[in-house]
Formats: sequence, C-alpha cells, structure tokens
Amino acid sequence: MGLKETIKATLKEAELYKSQGLLNEARQKYNKVAQLIENNAQIPNSKSLLDSVKKKMKALDDSHLRVVSAPTTPVMSEKAQNLIKELFTFSKDSDKASLALEGAISLAKFGQYHRAIEEFKKLLSDENVRIAAAKNIIKCYYEFVSIDKAVDEYRAWKSSSLFSPVQLEKVLGFLAGLIEKSGKSFDLDKVEESAETVLMPDEAVEEILDISSVGISLEKGVKSGSEIELDVSFQAGNVISVIISSKEKELIDNLKIGVKLNNVNFYSPIAIFRGSGIISASTKIDSGPKKGDYCLDIKVTNI
Amino acid sequence: MAIFNLQKREIECKIVYYGPGRCGKTTNLDYIYNKFKKQVQGEMVSINTEGDRTLFFDFLPIGIGKIKGCEVKVQLFTVPGQVQYSSTRKLVLKGVDGVVFVADSLEVRREKNLLSLKDLQQNLKEYGLSISKIPLVLQYNKRDLADEGLPIMSIEQMEKDLNRQLKVPSFPGAAIKGDGVGKTLQECLKLTLINLQKELKWAD
Ligand SMILES: Nc1nc2c(ncn2[C@@H]2O[C@H](COP(=O)(O)OP(=O)(O)OP(=O)(O)O)[C@@H](O)[C@H]2O)c(=O)[nH]1
Ligand SMILES: [Mg+2]
Repeated sequence: MGLKETIKATLKEAELYKSQGLLNEARQKYNKVAQLIENNAQIPNSKSLLDSVKKKMKALDDSHLRVVSAPTTPVMSEKAQNLIKELFTFSKDSDKASLALEGAISLAKFGQYHRAIEEFKKLLSDENVRIAAAKNIIKCYYEFVSIDKAVDEYRAWKSSSLFSPVQLEKVLGFLAGLIEKSGKSFDLDKVEESAETVLMPDEAVEEILDISSVGISLEKGVKSGSEIELDVSFQAGNVISVIISSKEKELIDNLKIGVKLNNVNFYSPIAIFRGSGIISASTKIDSGPKKGDYCLDIKVTNI
Repeated sequence: MAIFNLQKREIECKIVYYGPGRCGKTTNLDYIYNKFKKQVQGEMVSINTEGDRTLFFDFLPIGIGKIKGCEVKVQLFTVPGQVQYSSTRKLVLKGVDGVVFVADSLEVRREKNLLSLKDLQQNLKEYGLSISKIPLVLQYNKRDLADEGLPIMSIEQMEKDLNRQLKVPSFPGAAIKGDGVGKTLQECLKLTLINLQKELKWAD
C-alpha cells in the first residue's frame, strides 16, 4: 500500500472504532495517521490534513472526557427505582420488614440514597430491623454525603428515646469504624452503662465480619506448629469456604468433617481475630479448573 | 436463583449477558426486544450513561411458553461492561441462572475479552458459583466488521483464548443484524432449564 492509501485506510479504521464507541482504539489510529503525516511533510496539503486530524482527535478526547466524567449514580425515576427494588429483592419468603430492608439496600447499592434513606428511616420503628436500618442510614450518609452528617444523625438518635442503650452501642460501634476510615475525629461519648448493656443471648450472636483468609495450625503431622494460610473463597454468615489444592494431601487428611480447629487466625480487612472453628463440610471438586481440589466449609464457633 | 411457584406452576429464571465494554450486550437485547415480539412480556428498561453505555443494566422480561406444564418466564439482563462499574456488574449478576458471554471479535479487544471472562469467574465465585458449572454460552460478536476491513480474530483463535477449558457451546454473531442472537439465547435457555430441572427436580 502506498502512503496515501495507508493514511486513508487508517483513517477509516479510526472512524469505525469511533462509531463503535471504542474511543481509545480510535485515538490510537488517529495518532498513527498524525505521525504518518508529520513524518512525510512532502504530502500535498500536509498541513491542512494534519489540522483536520487534530480536530478529530480533540473531538474524540472531548467525548472520552464526557464518558469518564459522567455521573455514576444519577437519580433515577421513581419507576426505575421501584423496578430495582423488585428485581433485586431475592428472599421472597421473608417477613415484610426484612423484604423492605433488602429493597432499600438494593436502592442504596445502586446509588439511590435519598430514597433509600427515606425507606430505612421508616424501618427504624420496627424493632427487628432497627439496627440494620440504622447502620444502613449511617453508611449511606458516610458514602454519599459526609461522615459529619452520619455523626449528626447518630447524635439525634442518641438524644431520642427510640434506641435502647444496647442498640445504640451497636450503631456506635459501626459508626466508629467509619469514622476511623474517614480519618476525622469526633467527640462521641460512650453509651451510658446500664443494666441493659449486658448482652441478651439472642443479641450475643453478632454479625460476623468479612473474613478474607484464615490461618490454621495443625496439631499433628509434618506441618504441625507452622501456620497455613488459606484464602476464603466464599462466606455466608459464619460459614466460610476455602479451597485446598489436591497437592496438600496431609492437610486434606487432617481436615475431615467434624474436626475442631482451635487457635485459628481469622484475617479480616480491619484486623486479625483469634478464634476457633469446626469443619462443617468437605467436598471434592469434580470438574473445572480446580478439579481434584477440595472445598472446605469452616463454621466459625468463636471469634 | 430461579423462583418456582408451585401453585401457579410457573418458573422464573434469570439470564445475564456479560462481556467487555462495547462488545454488543445491549445490542443483543435490543434485537430480541424488537424481533421476538411474541415472547417479550414487557418494556425493555435500559439505564444508560454517556454515549449509550450501560450504567446499571438493561432488563427485558420474556416468556417462552409452557414446558412440561409449567409456564417459563425469563428475566434477561445485561451488565455494564466498562471496567469502572465493577460493583454494579457484580450486583446485577446476583441470583443468575445462566450466562451469555458476549466476546468482541475485534483484534484490538482481545485482551478485554480475557479480562472480562476472568472478572465473570471471580464474581461468580464470590456468589459461591463456579464458571465451569453454571449454564454458559459464548457469542463471538461483530463478525460483520471483517467486511469493513477491520482486523478480527478467527473463530479458532477465540475458541483457544476463551473456550479451551470451558468447552461450552459458542456461536459467531453479528448482533447488529441479529445474526446469532436467537441461537445464542436459545442454547443458553436450554442449558439453564436443563440445569434447573436437575436442581429443583422439577416435573418429577
Ligand atoms: N458492526 C457491528 N457493530 C456492533 C455489533 N454489536 C454491537 N455493535 C456496536 O457496538 C457498539 C456497542 O454496542 P452495545 O450493545 O451498546 O455494547 P455493550 O456491550 O452493551 O456496551 P456496555 O453497555 O458499555 O457494556 C454500538 O455502537 C453497537 O452498534 C455487531 O454485531 N456488529
Ligand atoms: Mg450495554
């Protein structure tokens, strides 16, 4: 291909990529054309040709900028919000309040925080979902408005009589984590001690944190004593799943269903916790890239 | 996470179109919406951002009639392909029963296909699902662009890149003209329903 044809073909390619919305790919082709022209000043009209290519580049860069700076969580119509609630509520059989909570969480996840907060606030009156709703309000303010607004909200709750001290304590614990993340500091008194702060049995079961990996020390065998760290591939409540390579024969043999694990390190993004667990399931993976490996479920019994 | 309503003898399942940005996921759904009128059971909802890119998802409800005395409803979704929307992508995938992975045949998008497939595997894993077990179909889209003189990958190359381990059904496509759109969906529906039948012991 002669120079003229190459330029023409490359320009056409650039236009096609552009029409596909493949802006980076189009930009690279325009760059190539510009370079070809610059390196060959003998081309007739090279100056005006280059100018026109540069104009195209500029227009492309403008579109690119519009794409990358477009708002990521625009407010949607009420109809679209309702659809989101409907489409992303999965636990069809739960009670009404839990369903409403799940719907509002979906709204928040899709950035519709105004409406989400509105709905969480309605749920504060329901004892069963109050703490979850409060934590979600705090989280929405933190993520979409500011940590200050989250703290204000907490203070307002504290001076109202809606929450029991135990409930307030939990919300405060959650808020404290976000405050730390924000790097700011606030003067927040601890919730006054009262007889009620003694955890009731059903409240003693706190939500388990996200665990990213676990460190297990075996009590017997060649590897006894040293810690083996395993990545958590999935977590559902207090049951976490890890994958053990088929090569780790000793480990697989030692970690049969029912085996209790004392001294486990649970690594979470914020801290390491020591605790114990029990192997609740062990499944050999029989297809796919991990064929032959084992998937172990560990139930966290104490953390 | 299909929903089985015993009283109404109705089953509702979810199929998600996944793939890199601009590969043609929305174009697939557009074609289905416009051409499969008999199956379409409502409006197509698209939540878009600048330049017609999907921001949250496209949603299209379809019905495929009775199978073994059971009315089958399907929710079709697309995810946003742009890299920065990874959390939304994961959200949309929740509760998925079957996946259509749309790959872009353009040579310049080779790496993007690979990264997106990896992202799919990772996100499925986080929901406790395995890419090697979930009903999955591949579509090698934009085959028509070869006629425009753009460099595209051969089918063999794409099979090697994306389907060497998975070994799932794959179809060439040109979604803009509708080529391969119906076949891809049909195969994914077939695999999904077979799988659900096994899981729910339905129609026993
Ligand atoms: N020539 C051709 N163009 C196509 C084909 N499929 C899609 N396109 C074009 O590719 C561009 C992107 O298509 P979309 O369907 O919006 O892509 P998407 O996968 O939904 O993109 P995201 O929403 O950003 O993830 C549009 O300009 C389409 O017209 C095809 O088969 N052939
Ligand atoms: Mg799209």
